[in-house]
Amino acid sequence: MEKNNKIMQEHNLQSVSAQQSVLKIVVKAGTYLFLGIMALIVLFPFYWMIISSLKSLEEYRENIPTLWPRVIIWSNYAEAFTEASLGQLFLNTAYVGIVSTLLSLVITVLSAFAFARLEFKGKNVLFAGLLATMMIPGELFTITNYATINQLGWMKTFTVLIVPFLVSVFYIYLLRQNFLQIPNELYLAAKVDGCGDLKYLWKVMVPLALPTLISITILKMMGAWNSYVWPRLVANDDAHRLITNGLRNAFTATTGDVNYPVQMAAVAIVSAPLFLVFIFLRKYIMKGVSRSGIKG
Amino acid sequence: MVDSKQQWKAWLYLSPAIILLLVFTVWPIINTVRLAFLEGYNALEATWGATYNVGIGNFTKVLGFREFKTCLVNTLLLTVLTVPISTILALLIAVALNSIKPLQKFLQTIFFLPYVTNSIAIGMVFAAMFNIIGLRPDGLNADSWGIINNVIMFFGGEPINWINANSGYWANIAVMTVYIVWNALPFKILILLGGLQSINKQYYDAAKVDGTPRRRVFTRITVPLLSPMLAYVFITGFIGGFKEYSSIVGIFGEKMGPVGDPYRLNTMVGYIYQVLPDTDYGVASAAALILFAIILLVTLINMQVSKKRVHY
Amino acid sequence: MKVVLQNLTKIFPSRNKKSGEEVVAVNDFNFEIPDGKLIGLLGPSGCGKSTTLYMISGLQKPTNGKIFFGDDDVTELPTEARGVGLVFQNYALYPHMSVKQNILFPLQNLKGKDKMTKEEMLERAVSAAKLVQIDDLMERKPSELSGGQQQRVAIARALVKMPRVLLLDEPLSNLDARLRLQTREEIRRIQKETGITTIFVTHDQEEAMSISDMIVVMKLGVVQQIGAPQDVYDNPVNLFVAKFLGTPPINVFEGRVAGEKLYIGEDAVLSVPGVADQEVYIGIRPEGFELNENGQLHCKLKNVEVMGRDVSIVSSNDASLNSIIRSIINADNKVDLSKEDITFSLKVHKVFIFNKENEERIYFEVN
Repeated sequence: MEKNNKIMQEHNLQSVSAQQSVLKIVVKAGTYLFLGIMALIVLFPFYWMIISSLKSLEEYRENIPTLWPRVIIWSNYAEAFTEASLGQLFLNTAYVGIVSTLLSLVITVLSAFAFARLEFKGKNVLFAGLLATMMIPGELFTITNYATINQLGWMKTFTVLIVPFLVSVFYIYLLRQNFLQIPNELYLAAKVDGCGDLKYLWKVMVPLALPTLISITILKMMGAWNSYVWPRLVANDDAHRLITNGLRNAFTATTGDVNYPVQMAAVAIVSAPLFLVFIFLRKYIMKGVSRSGIKG
Repeated sequence: MVDSKQQWKAWLYLSPAIILLLVFTVWPIINTVRLAFLEGYNALEATWGATYNVGIGNFTKVLGFREFKTCLVNTLLLTVLTVPISTILALLIAVALNSIKPLQKFLQTIFFLPYVTNSIAIGMVFAAMFNIIGLRPDGLNADSWGIINNVIMFFGGEPINWINANSGYWANIAVMTVYIVWNALPFKILILLGGLQSINKQYYDAAKVDGTPRRRVFTRITVPLLSPMLAYVFITGFIGGFKEYSSIVGIFGEKMGPVGDPYRLNTMVGYIYQVLPDTDYGVASAAALILFAIILLVTLINMQVSKKRVHY
Repeated sequence: MKVVLQNLTKIFPSRNKKSGEEVVAVNDFNFEIPDGKLIGLLGPSGCGKSTTLYMISGLQKPTNGKIFFGDDDVTELPTEARGVGLVFQNYALYPHMSVKQNILFPLQNLKGKDKMTKEEMLERAVSAAKLVQIDDLMERKPSELSGGQQQRVAIARALVKMPRVLLLDEPLSNLDARLRLQTREEIRRIQKETGITTIFVTHDQEEAMSISDMIVVMKLGVVQQIGAPQDVYDNPVNLFVAKFLGTPPINVFEGRVAGEKLYIGEDAVLSVPGVADQEVYIGIRPEGFELNENGQLHCKLKNVEVMGRDVSIVSSNDASLNSIIRSIINADNKVDLSKEDITFSLKVHKVFIFNKENEERIYFEVN
């Protein structure tokens, strides 16, 4: 009798654990299914962009869409490139991006160093003041800046695309935090070693804060690449137009009977550098973004 | 320690940043407030020597404009729709990602992909997906219904005129909601997943020892411990929502509405940029201050609520 | 290079603005450090020893007073012009540079006539590395080194430019006990070999006593006593110095002088000629006790700890300020553990008496 009971209990326990492991598998499968579907939804626009950019206009307009182009039309890309004069736009954007990133890095490093390592009167008040400006939406500045630019005669120049956004309080803050993590003894040691401020900054702090500087560089470059509103407002001429604005300008119609394959090819060309940056420098972007909350 | 040499060195290093900030940040703040309270200020007239009364005329004027009210309603609607949807979806995805081992890094990368896109460019892709080509005037037939409608029809539904001429307002809003949520997911997933991964595993082990069911683990451990991150994502989401602009330009073009009904989907930011070139700086400034006030208010409310709700 | 500190004073403004109290970190420090000696600055934390070191290095400016290296007044000279080497408590090695790059770094900063060729620099770096015996680790990064090795790199980096003065800030505090012993011998050896005037800061009296030519005991910014370690130990000028030096620490009693006799409780333990009647503190070194059945000091026996050559007798007395009295005597003396009481006689030069108010030493004639 007792023995039987024991067997019964063991049997029960076994079935309970079997039930549990089945449940576990179901939950796991459900999780992967959910993630898989979401991933497909996230990826679908990219897929659609690429296949559409390779279709002929006739194929694109078919009633039942094909999921892969029957004939791949590479010439859409060439057409897009000339139609939107993407070459000129690329050059403009690269110029603005590189110059503003370099200048911005210099300004950010110097300011962050002053806040992290130097002692001066009013330091804390000034720093708090800077942080406070981060709360205010940029649109509040635009109106006066638009007027200022007008007065300075900077309309339709590269200067207007570069100078107003050189200082990012957030980047100064980010880098200052990074600099503060470098022990003060290193600074003192360098002084004992006869190393001046700027040399110390260049030889010790910059190498140690390199990941943050790379993050800032990428986000800043992406910012130039994706900026739309301000450039459209102040430099919307052929010689100075930036890529995003140029893309929107070249394809004004979004609905109706548009030559979508060419338009999608242009979109793909504009997106390509971003994807390349993403593939190779993802780590830095994610690190920078997770501390920022700003879209480049 | 504060010696004079360090003093002037510090100010020297800071000078480029300070000068630029004075010109392009501090002065604009002061000036915008000033202009907003100069009734009917117009830059062109001002150069000719016009003078203005101080008052709240610009504010009443802006609030009286029908266009501004449209912008306000659109902005509020899109924010209220997209922030909760994207936050909940991001939370579900983050929790799911956190619970798996194989493919986690790979899927995480995929979910982050939309972050590095250009919202104008990808907006054009979304437009292509919702667009109908060759719609007949009766609305019953078309050359190509667009991939989204194709999918709806595949499951036996009726095609919808999402964004074309004569499309409905709510259809437009639905498209915008989908696009904005898609755009907002990566940042939220990144932050929430980071938060989840920093939760001490011991809490989960303790819950397991106590035999806590899965759902309770989620509501009693995960969400409370994640609440600071959730609050952060919520606040930044609201701020971003109130500044929505370029995603609408991406889908509907610079006219910000379907063909035949321009500026139907205009937003607060869009409004400011729309009136700027007319040199009506007084009105534009008032609009910008109203936007700032709303953002400030919502942020403060959010912070107040999360102070009560954030569990540690 | 001798180092002279003249009325050296450092006052920090108060951190708390309301109270407005200034902190006097170093108060009127006068000292002439002879050339080529190893000096230990010793005291509890907050005594101003590190501030003194930083002022000598030039990283902090004195509020008052002057610093001379030899005959040069360096008070107004910036750090880099003083020619000092400084080893930080946590070593402060540049984490992104290899050992070699770290050691080369000070040389690369030399300017003008001091500028060296690459070969000269490398030669100097290698010889500095050899001196501290890390020449086989030159390509490693600091994170790949043990604490002791990092310490050596830091010393090599400080020595490579042949400083006029070498400064060490708590050089041993981040090492474990075994390494500490080894490294302090090493520091002594390096200092002897180079002959560079060396000043180091420590809160560990044993460390300071064991390797210094001279020690400076500080308390709350004020120098208490300067001298050779043994002299300071044998002749403390006040109760603080007496208590700070020595392991096991000195035993302190409350007592009184009456009729030129020193009393602990009712026991007249010593005759102190020339001392007026007063209440006093009495300090007795652990080695100042002798077992003597006819001794004058009566204590309650608690325990005996055998330490090989010596035994440590733990006892108690109502007049003792510490809960136990520890006395160390030769192991040849047998202690009867069954007895409750124990009596000692005292070695007169191991007994110090201090004024009860200002805790200054009261000297008496020893016949």
